[in-house]
Amino acid sequence: MRSYRSRLDNDLPRWREAGWLTAEGEASIRKDVASHSRSLELAPALAIIGAVLIGFAAMSFIAANWDEMSRLARLALIFASLGTAYGIAGILFERGYPAFAHAAILAGVALFGAGIMLIAQMFHMDGHPPDAVLTWALGALGAGVVLGSNPALALAMLLMGLWSGWEMVESGVVHWPFLLGWGAVTAAFLWRWWVPGLQFAAVVLSIWIICLGYLLFDGHGHGVVVGVGLLVGAAGLALPSLSERWSAFSTPAVAYGMTIAFAGLFALQFVEENVPLFGLILLAIATLTLVLAGIGFGLRTSSSAALWLGYGGFSLEVLALYFKTVGTLLGSSLFFFAAGFIVIALAAVAYRLHARMEAQS
Amino acid sequence: MMSERRNLWLGIAVVVAGQIGVLGWMVWDRVHLLSSGREIVLEVVPVDPRSLFRGDYVILNYDISRVETPRGKKRLHRGSLIFSTLQKTKDGKWKLTAAGPERPESVGPDQVVLKGRVRFASRVARRGSNVATVNYGIESFFIPEGTGRELEKLVGQKKLAALIAVDESGNAALKGLIVDGERVYEEPLF
Repeated sequence: MRSYRSRLDNDLPRWREAGWLTAEGEASIRKDVASHSRSLELAPALAIIGAVLIGFAAMSFIAANWDEMSRLARLALIFASLGTAYGIAGILFERGYPAFAHAAILAGVALFGAGIMLIAQMFHMDGHPPDAVLTWALGALGAGVVLGSNPALALAMLLMGLWSGWEMVESGVVHWPFLLGWGAVTAAFLWRWWVPGLQFAAVVLSIWIICLGYLLFDGHGHGVVVGVGLLVGAAGLALPSLSERWSAFSTPAVAYGMTIAFAGLFALQFVEENVPLFGLILLAIATLTLVLAGIGFGLRTSSSAALWLGYGGFSLEVLALYFKTVGTLLGSSLFFFAAGFIVIALAAVAYRLHARMEAQS
Repeated sequence: MMSERRNLWLGIAVVVAGQIGVLGWMVWDRVHLLSSGREIVLEVVPVDPRSLFRGDYVILNYDISRVETPRGKKRLHRGSLIFSTLQKTKDGKWKLTAAGPERPESVGPDQVVLKGRVRFASRVARRGSNVATVNYGIESFFIPEGTGRELEKLVGQKKLAALIAVDESGNAALKGLIVDGERVYEEPLF
């Protein structure tokens, strides 16, 4: 948001000097931008941090006074602090401080999680920790839906990821129930039409899909990851022609799809062992093509995120190839010669295509 | 406006009641198990006594933490459930007699079944059997902050055992610790 404003600061005087804009026009634009900007404000951010700190304070108070208190007193204190947090949220909503109210809800959800842990500790429960995380996630989801709180929903998504990650680390197999939990929180994001939440959901799902490569087929499922990534990217490209409403999601879908496919290709080249030289060369060409397509896509749609993901992917790929080929049959210099040649060839193709499109229009 | 306000407080009441309900159910479930479950005593496999109580909790290892399922049984995987049958011997100790992925259909009066989860599993090729490290949910004992040294001194070279409550479905809960036959750290239910 700030970058938009600073761009306007640069552009508006120039436009006014060029005579495209009156002084009143400039003032109205500035006023409109100021009233519509939903920048991250400091006060709510501080309120949320404060809420988290208060949650920790309550927990360490209970933990520190463990001996003096009977179990019943500890439970009463946990329940009371939980009720207080949500009560404060209600009062803040009524007084017209929604940002602070959401911070209080977040504190309530944090206290719920801490309550689960304290009760587990109180009764020496040592069962299956991911179950506790799932319980916490469902509590956050419930609070987020019932009270219409985006921060609580974001925490629910984070906890769903933690739950699934823990299950997969413990068992070493794919944790399919994650899709149910993820779907529930994502449905809540959609219902509230909260775009940052949807982005977060996409990030969590992308990480989960990339993990599939390490779990499917005894850890050799990276091909599946590449396929899923390419499908997501293709779906993103097709979105604008399918539906008006969803066309805004086209660019992010392409970016996520390409990132997933890149992660799969990367693992095929550098995580898998005993990759034959010829296979490695083919995979490297495919990866570089994907990355360059990503950069091209970023330039065409002026999406800086896609552009930077593309540059980042390119650097990662080249660096990893360099380390892999040092001291092998295929000398590094030969490799870079080939890579440079391929990139220039692709650039030439892109230039031709661009020129032809210009000529047509 | 009035109804909006009512909805807000109704929502808050629902969330608070729901979350306290979940926590309360956790407590009730545990208390029920501790108070009505069958009591058994398991000897704790000794570890270095100096590191035993260093933190604010103790990791307890038992003989039954390592099980072997006979040849031909279903292969065990990390995270899968396992049912261990314990038999009370003449000297009052509980010994592992069988273990497998299915719950035994019938148990004798001097037997209990514990439900656990496989932490690590491997196959002994020579014998065709499975060896697994099992977690029964009774492996951590939390002690009040700063009392580790005290308990450490108390235990010293003596034999440490754990008092366990087991319910019908095989869930186990730690009730307390036993040092040389004497109950210590047996916590009240509330």
